[in-house]
Amino acid sequence: MSANSQDIKPTAKAPDAPESDGGRFAVPPWLRRAAGVSELWTFVILVALVAFFTIAAPGKFFTTYDITQIAVNASIYLVLGVGMTFVIITAGIDLSIGSVLVLAAVSAGEYNVHHGGPTAGWGTVVVCVVIALAVGTGWGALQGAVVATGKVPPLIVTLGGLGAALGIAELATGGQDPAGAAATHLQNSLGFGKLLGIPWMVILAAVVTALFGAVLGATRFGSHTLAIGSNPTAVRRAGIPVGRHLIKVYGLMGLLAGLGAVMWLASYGTTSIAGHSTDNLKVITAVVLGGTSLFGGRGSVLGTVIGVFIPAVLTTGLIVIGVQQYWQDVAVGVVLVVAVYIDQMRRKTRERA
Amino acid sequence: MSSTRITRKVLVAAGTVLALTGAAACSSSSDSGGSGSKGGASGKKVRLITGVKSDPFYITMTCAAQTEAKAKGMDFSADGSAQWDVSVQRPLIDSVAATRPDGLLISPVDVSALTPSLKQIQSSGTKVALVDTTVTDTSIGITRISSDNEKGGRVAADALAKLMDEKGSAIVISVKPGVSTTDARIKGFTEEMGKYPNIKLLPTLYDNDLPATAASQIQSTLAAHPDLGGVFAGNTNTGTGIATGLKQAGKQGTVKVAAFDAEPDEVASLKAGTLQVLVAQDPGAIGKEAVDQLAAAFEGKTVQKSIGTNMVAITKANMNQPEISKYFYKAGC
Repeated sequence: MSANSQDIKPTAKAPDAPESDGGRFAVPPWLRRAAGVSELWTFVILVALVAFFTIAAPGKFFTTYDITQIAVNASIYLVLGVGMTFVIITAGIDLSIGSVLVLAAVSAGEYNVHHGGPTAGWGTVVVCVVIALAVGTGWGALQGAVVATGKVPPLIVTLGGLGAALGIAELATGGQDPAGAAATHLQNSLGFGKLLGIPWMVILAAVVTALFGAVLGATRFGSHTLAIGSNPTAVRRAGIPVGRHLIKVYGLMGLLAGLGAVMWLASYGTTSIAGHSTDNLKVITAVVLGGTSLFGGRGSVLGTVIGVFIPAVLTTGLIVIGVQQYWQDVAVGVVLVVAVYIDQMRRKTRERA
Repeated sequence: MSSTRITRKVLVAAGTVLALTGAAACSSSSDSGGSGSKGGASGKKVRLITGVKSDPFYITMTCAAQTEAKAKGMDFSADGSAQWDVSVQRPLIDSVAATRPDGLLISPVDVSALTPSLKQIQSSGTKVALVDTTVTDTSIGITRISSDNEKGGRVAADALAKLMDEKGSAIVISVKPGVSTTDARIKGFTEEMGKYPNIKLLPTLYDNDLPATAASQIQSTLAAHPDLGGVFAGNTNTGTGIATGLKQAGKQGTVKVAAFDAEPDEVASLKAGTLQVLVAQDPGAIGKEAVDQLAAAFEGKTVQKSIGTNMVAITKANMNQPEISKYFYKAGC
């Protein structure tokens, strides 16, 4: 994938490269991106959906209960989506996230099973969290290293990782979710606890999103990520270690998959080995809906937030107004294609101007 | 992306099958078929292949079959696939076929893909009994023994309706459409719920075996139907998602949840109040009945072509009664 995008990138990206460089000095780039037209379009779609369902189901849809529920269910996908945004901006992809999440959850879960089970103390909970984050980061960085040094396309590396991580998790557990994988302490705090009426799951996801949104928009790490996706050759010639940066980006994706594992254990209390086979598709859909270019070099965390919420609002809304289930998949598919189509049209007109 | 997993498994399995076919070809030349004894079940070689080796349902079935076979003096041993997968189970069938048993009890994991293997083993003189799951080809198997899934759905509906005080909305959240067992359960559940005029049954939702989807679906349903009083969960993953969704919505215990099977962690959930009804199948009876039917066939007696075993509803109120708790599935013999 990166080999292809190298050929396309210089021509496709050349027109706006000087403009965005100039802009970076004048206005803080995160502000520019926040106000970017691309996010605006998807945001309009999101608002339209919310407005439609609120009118269609008055008193049932846009309620505190419903907003909280949508936010809680979206929180894990949001955390994964933030990492995926970084990966896709480098013109990469990570198909392995669901399996890495399962592997991290199983590693932490097995430790918990042997150190107190459901009644485990806070010490065990902390160790479990560290294990999940470490396993995720380690696996992600390993995949990053293969992408960076081996010149193997990320699609293939993470496709291999998808199978291997799940296989290891199944070997470790015999394919059955271990009982007592999550401590009650973890479940009652992060899983179901609230602060001022806001669930901790939502707060954690919001903090992660804001933090890495700022990292992408306002730090050198962020601009290197964007630059690598735009033109890796130029970046390499400018003396930036592209390989090392890719390892960090895939490591970050792994870290967030590990965090996703902790959140999963907290809210579901089990490792759900078989329940994560389509996480990658859901998250990639959200990132692309949010305007991040699959060819790299363009994208924002804010867009991903909107991209995560569009399918979440759609599925919830369609159930609330009582539409038959099969229509939900159709609707999400149509919205995805329409959103990207509008995005492409907009880009074409901008390039002409 | 599950297709990639499948491809990987198929490749591995193809290799295994090739290797095993070689082995089978060798052993078939040495004539060790049959145990020689005529009439009577004693001394007959009987093998059992289950769907998933580590599943308590199949463990319970295996234990009961083993006890019954021992009592009849049969030479019995059991094995099962590591996963619910044709490419994993087929090599097992082929290796068992190579030993030419007198009888085979099997839970096929696919309704058609295993037909050739089973036809072959049947034509070499082995008497086949299908336990729990079946195949579409009716010429296979001298007997088919499984739970009456439609009745299971009815049992679930009655137990749930009672807990709901026979009023409010109810919903089924299942894995996916087109699975014979769960479709039959939903059919039975829907028909039986129709007998309660004050209960409104909402359209069935499918979560594709994803707990996160089930959690979001149950919460969305609650938003639309605040009078929701009962849920029928398709399987364990669905049950997990529903439990999380209800807990996050603060409705745990208010909305009653019925689930199939009585595996150890489900029994724990029943005790903890996460689940309110378990509809237990009787895997022990399936295993015992299958051995009995095989024995009848060996002795030349009449064999029942099809047997549906009983189902029972377990609630917190009756779970400690010995005639109910005997239905709990076992994690080991």
